[in-house]
Amino acid sequence: MRRFIEHTELARDSRFIRQDTAASTALANLPDDVDAVVSAFEKLAPMIEEAVRGTAAEELFETYGPAFSLVTLQEPIRPGEDGTDSRMRQRMHGIFVGEVQALEGAGRSLWDFPDAPWEFKMNMARQCWDEARHVQIYEKLLDHVGGEPGMYPESTFLFECACSDDPALRVAGVNRGLEGLACDVFRDVMKYAAEIGDDKMYQAVDYVLADELTHVRFGSDWVKEFTKDDPDRYKRAQDFRRQVDKQFSFGGARSDNDDAAIPIAMEVRREAGFTEEELDDLKQLSSGGPTKQTLREAARILHERHKAKGAGAAA
Amino acid sequence: MSERLYPGSNQDERTTFAPYSAFDIPADLRELHGRYDVEATARRVRNFRYAEEWMMMIMGGWVATIPEVPVKTGLGKVIWETAKAADEFGKRLPELRCGRKALSQSEAGNDGFASFIQEVSAPERPDQTIEKLAGVFDVLKPHLVELYERHMRETDPISDAPTIDILEDIVRKTRRHIAWGHEVLERLCETEATQQRRRERAQHMRNALIACGGATGDLAPGQA
Repeated sequence: MRRFIEHTELARDSRFIRQDTAASTALANLPDDVDAVVSAFEKLAPMIEEAVRGTAAEELFETYGPAFSLVTLQEPIRPGEDGTDSRMRQRMHGIFVGEVQALEGAGRSLWDFPDAPWEFKMNMARQCWDEARHVQIYEKLLDHVGGEPGMYPESTFLFECACSDDPALRVAGVNRGLEGLACDVFRDVMKYAAEIGDDKMYQAVDYVLADELTHVRFGSDWVKEFTKDDPDRYKRAQDFRRQVDKQFSFGGARSDNDDAAIPIAMEVRREAGFTEEELDDLKQLSSGGPTKQTLREAARILHERHKAKGAGAAA
Repeated sequence: MSERLYPGSNQDERTTFAPYSAFDIPADLRELHGRYDVEATARRVRNFRYAEEWMMMIMGGWVATIPEVPVKTGLGKVIWETAKAADEFGKRLPELRCGRKALSQSEAGNDGFASFIQEVSAPERPDQTIEKLAGVFDVLKPHLVELYERHMRETDPISDAPTIDILEDIVRKTRRHIAWGHEVLERLCETEATQQRRRERAQHMRNALIACGGATGDLAPGQA
């Protein structure tokens, strides 16, 4: 078996449809400019349309055009609002496939770094079991909210962005970046579950969050261990984490803003070893890019153009 | 000043029956001495640890390239329990005069077994789930169970009891892993063609295992 694989080699059964990662990563690099956002997503529209064909997202694309992903990413999920149920299914599906990729990342870390310290391997092996349970949990929660695996396209950008050939960067990306994002998302899901009185969802996600905090702590500890007495490598690891955190902020969807779709779970991250300096840096990173107002305006324009195109085709 | 007396210490308070007879405690019938001295046991424990650690790493690497989600998730716990087995063997090593820092030591029984392990890891394509699982669950794990049970039977049951204690727990869990692996393989091998693939892979790996003398490198042909 070879060391190190590309994200394209991640294997799935026939239920899953692979989505190109370009759309997922585009937001991380866009300026705060309506025209730029509109232009970027118009170019991505054919790719997005192809990716959602045959999935539950196809209807959303037919209704909103490529703007649907902006809406689903940027707006908090609030009980009682239109589309809440479908958005929760989409989020649960996104979490489910994210957990699959986290499992794969931890598993690859066992094989890709055979010379790593034994304690590192034990941590990664334990993480394999934890992520495997998380996949099982979210498959059941997906069913709980009326969804099923494969109903939405899967982007493997989480694995692509976080996995590195250097173990220090790998744990910085996967454990501190990817698992850190998981902490943010799950804290928000728990809030939603509490608001609707769903004890099953709340308790399950609460346990998962406890596990993810442990995984982030693994990352905090091992970045320090792998880079001790090597300031340059430590800097590379931090820079890599920052790069991942930028991409995983989805243009501000995950941020410290009051109206963020995914608030940063500050207390959880502190307990997992993030310093105040790192948290401040994360706030700054995630606040960059298009503002919510910009994205809303861009979504409106994209939606209008999509409707006009549809009307023209009908005529 | 009178001497303080405790209950049972007066002449008239002492028991009158012979020691043990009233309780009928059975004699310890275990015999000292076994086939392996400390050095031999330490070497075998390093061999066991080698096999468990490499299985853990191999299965971890496969998770990403196995398409079936239930197999991915099922392997998660097997990976962790295999890691714990390796860890338990590692913790035993300093207790066998291998040095304080022996916790992560491992050793292939011989070069042949090291090559065998690489052969176990060879299947990589997404359409090779059968070959991946057969090498581990049809061949290597059952072999290790037999090896562990042999060690338990043949080593000093009193002096080497800590090793036996570790092995008993590992055998119990490994049997569960094997049962899971067999159940999965039964589901995957529903046609004659897939059953043939499983048989061929298992036979190929068994032959390789026999040729190298098993995980400890010292088993005679037919004993692996």
